[in-house]
Amino acid sequence: MYGLKFPHSARTREIRFVLNGSETSVRVPPGYTLLETLRYVLRMTGTKEGCARGDCGECTVLVDGVPVHACLTLMSQVEGRSVLTVEGIDRQHRLIRAFVEEGAVQCGHCTPGIVVAAYHLLSQVPRPTEEQVREALRGNLCRCTGYVKIIRAVLKAGEA
Amino acid sequence: MTAQRAVGAPVARRDAFEKAVGAAKYASDLFLDDMLWVAVLRSKYPHARIRRIDTSKAESHPNVVAVFTHRDVPVNRYGLFKKDRPVLCDDKVRYIGDPIALVAAETREDALEALKLIEVDYEPLPPVTDPIEAMRPDAPKVHDDGNICREVHLRLGDVDGAFARADVIVENTYRTGAQIHAYLETEAGISYMEDGKIVVVAGGQSPYRDRAEIAHALNLPEEMIRVVTPYVGGAFGGKDDITVQIHLALVTWKTGRPARLVWSREESMMAGTKRHPAIIKIRTAATRDGTILANKIEIVLDKGAYTALGPAVLDVAVENCNGPYRVQASQIDAYLVYTNNMVASAFRGFGAPQVIFAIERQMDLLAKKLGMDPLELRLKNALRKGDRYVFGNVLEGSVGIAQCLEVARSHPLWRSRGRNSCEWPWLRRGVGVAAAMKGYTIGALPDKGVVALELLRDGRVLVKGSFTEIGQGVIQAVAQIAADLLGVSVDDVEVVFADTEVTPDTSVTSASRQLFLAGNAVREAVEALRERVAELEGRLSGRRPARVEFSGGWVFIDSERRYSLQELARLLESTGLGRQVLGVYEVPRVEPLPGTLEIPHLFYMFGVTLAEVLVNLLTGEVTVSKVVSIVDAGRVINPITFTGQVEGAVAQGIGFALMEDAKIRDGYLLTRDLSTYLIPSSKDVPEIEVIPVETEEAEGPFGAKGIGEIGIISVAPAILNAVADATGVEPNAIPLTHERLYWLLKEHGLVEQLRRAST
Ligand code: FES
Ligand code: FES
Repeated sequence: MYGLKFPHSARTREIRFVLNGSETSVRVPPGYTLLETLRYVLRMTGTKEGCARGDCGECTVLVDGVPVHACLTLMSQVEGRSVLTVEGIDRQHRLIRAFVEEGAVQCGHCTPGIVVAAYHLLSQVPRPTEEQVREALRGNLCRCTGYVKIIRAVLKAGEA
Repeated sequence: MTAQRAVGAPVARRDAFEKAVGAAKYASDLFLDDMLWVAVLRSKYPHARIRRIDTSKAESHPNVVAVFTHRDVPVNRYGLFKKDRPVLCDDKVRYIGDPIALVAAETREDALEALKLIEVDYEPLPPVTDPIEAMRPDAPKVHDDGNICREVHLRLGDVDGAFARADVIVENTYRTGAQIHAYLETEAGISYMEDGKIVVVAGGQSPYRDRAEIAHALNLPEEMIRVVTPYVGGAFGGKDDITVQIHLALVTWKTGRPARLVWSREESMMAGTKRHPAIIKIRTAATRDGTILANKIEIVLDKGAYTALGPAVLDVAVENCNGPYRVQASQIDAYLVYTNNMVASAFRGFGAPQVIFAIERQMDLLAKKLGMDPLELRLKNALRKGDRYVFGNVLEGSVGIAQCLEVARSHPLWRSRGRNSCEWPWLRRGVGVAAAMKGYTIGALPDKGVVALELLRDGRVLVKGSFTEIGQGVIQAVAQIAADLLGVSVDDVEVVFADTEVTPDTSVTSASRQLFLAGNAVREAVEALRERVAELEGRLSGRRPARVEFSGGWVFIDSERRYSLQELARLLESTGLGRQVLGVYEVPRVEPLPGTLEIPHLFYMFGVTLAEVLVNLLTGEVTVSKVVSIVDAGRVINPITFTGQVEGAVAQGIGFALMEDAKIRDGYLLTRDLSTYLIPSSKDVPEIEVIPVETEEAEGPFGAKGIGEIGIISVAPAILNAVADATGVEPNAIPLTHERLYWLLKEHGLVEQLRRAST
């Protein structure tokens, strides 16, 4: 796939899962993480890497509707499951609109992970309070915005 | 006249949508077929001589294409002020992030595997990690020419006389820590050959400057190198210096193949630059009524292993260490000292957050000694427009500090000061204030920005400049300025940025200056276009018009004739005059004070922060519950990006004050990830109120000032002043972690008191 080479010693295996609604199959070493597979193998770079060890939340995706760190999720754990990344969220979604209108995006590197986390929150709690938004996003770091406009955007999307 | 519509309007950023849906490409998102994965071997020791490097085993590892050491680098020293940083270490390593070798392999895994096979024979040397110790003559030397990288000594006014006359003297020593930028996108890039040129696409702040550094190290003409800076996932000064660029160019130049190098988070923490840790001693002389007579100030900045932008940072520290006050005399002794710690360089505020922390804590301690209200003391001494500052320079630009302080004084948060008790006896509330200043645009150094403006055939406008989009929204602001000057809608302005092949040199994106420079250059470009229209009209009608106005997508000539911009584009092309003009803006220069690089500046930014904290006396935990940031912003170009910049700066200031504790022991960084080096999360940053005080900066584009840095500068002192207000203890070092405050409270018997009260 796209000429990504695996190490000389690696044994690869075919793994099937549903990615943003489409049946997908990749051949990767089973120890590959979902993040490595998304970014390096499939070149779906909407999901970002900020630390690769579960500290920053940039790689947040939903597996069977539950937010996980793609950098800590092995491909063998994804087999047969359904994965939603930022690319799978409707571009006209009110959350995206709110992020744009409220100015919640600066460098934007944290944004996809935060959009996914907020998308999940709104699916569980359609009208969250500010406290609930802060709590839901506590694992998603942003170095640019101070969170003010991010929180406002999620609240606004929740009102719609 | 042109109706101004876009400037000042809260227009959504043009890059927001593609970023939010994950479509925007950053350097770390780029993959090329057949590319090599590059990994860097870094020093094991903070200080050691390199006796031998053996790469043979690594070279024979499967899938490894090449291994590079210093022997492969044509000119093995780079750096913006002093070429003292090795591309790959040769004689010595001077800090733990120092690069020794590069592996380029067909796979990521094999590149990392091969790093372990490189044998380096080190002779460990004693490290020097305390800047004060490093200043001693017998200290281990980081560089052969000694550990003092730069020193500045200024004697301004009659300091001794002032101290002799003083009613009160206050003296304290302040310390600030090694803040890490911790942008979410680490240092990243790719490289490839195209048309005989090396192309480097990397996260950076100044493509032309990066290009010059690459060309120097590879000993190639600059024209052979193209640098492109796509969207950058945060920079804050940390990508001002070279990171991945030279390594990438070297690999591609030697192998002819595309390459990718992205630093891991750990690498970014170790090899990325830091905010200079500072030790600042201030002795203040004042009269009984609160007039500051003089400050004697000693500044020591820990440079870490290499010069980088340190000399300029030292100058900013010197320039602002007296704060925004009418100080009549000052003695300043400042030292920039090499150690075997990680390299310090540019970080939002650039030396000002350190010295303003010190002087603003000092102001509160002086107020306490005088029994004065700390805000009144500041207001009494605040600079006004037309004042002579301590360097003898008359402040001709706008000076909004007094207005900012007045807004703070009447703010409900300040008026609620004094209500210290909370519902629980172990919780105390406090409110603190602090002021800030910083010169912006590069003062005494020559500074010039160029942009190109092209009228497209369809009548839309294309602005090209080498400014970089590091998250600050410069592209949006440039588009808004161009739209208004040309009387078109913002959507009809396209902006191409940061590509040495396509965009002219708009100088560097740092020091809160990019918008100021680029905005003024756009204004010049529109003038040039006007001139060209006049020339066109001269040719067509044989008479030069007196007036050329752009409005509503038309150009009006002497109110006799008009062309649509589309027609104008066609005419400019068919007459051979050309559809593109250049705008050049040169920042007015100030003669530097002898012995300094760029003191004073012509323009200063000002601001005031109010902070409310809750302190838990049992644990030392400080919760920041509200921040008000009052900014002398000049004219605000876009209220959304403006408040966004300030809010982000405040959050970084909260981290600097309370949380961001880079633990460094004997030159080794112990906090190498984001679970041990904590930056503020959504639970740590409170409500932030941003109040712009719009004083017009006559020289700025539409009266705008630089605003990127001012928001951070007075946050830490405001928070610590609030902690002092809450508890009565006077902490003078940051970061003030729970643990440090707990011990301070205990020392002052507060913990005991509480215990007794509760039994
Ligand atoms: S990249 Fe997965 S949490 Fe940081
Ligand atoms: S917008 Fe830059 S990290 Fe969040």
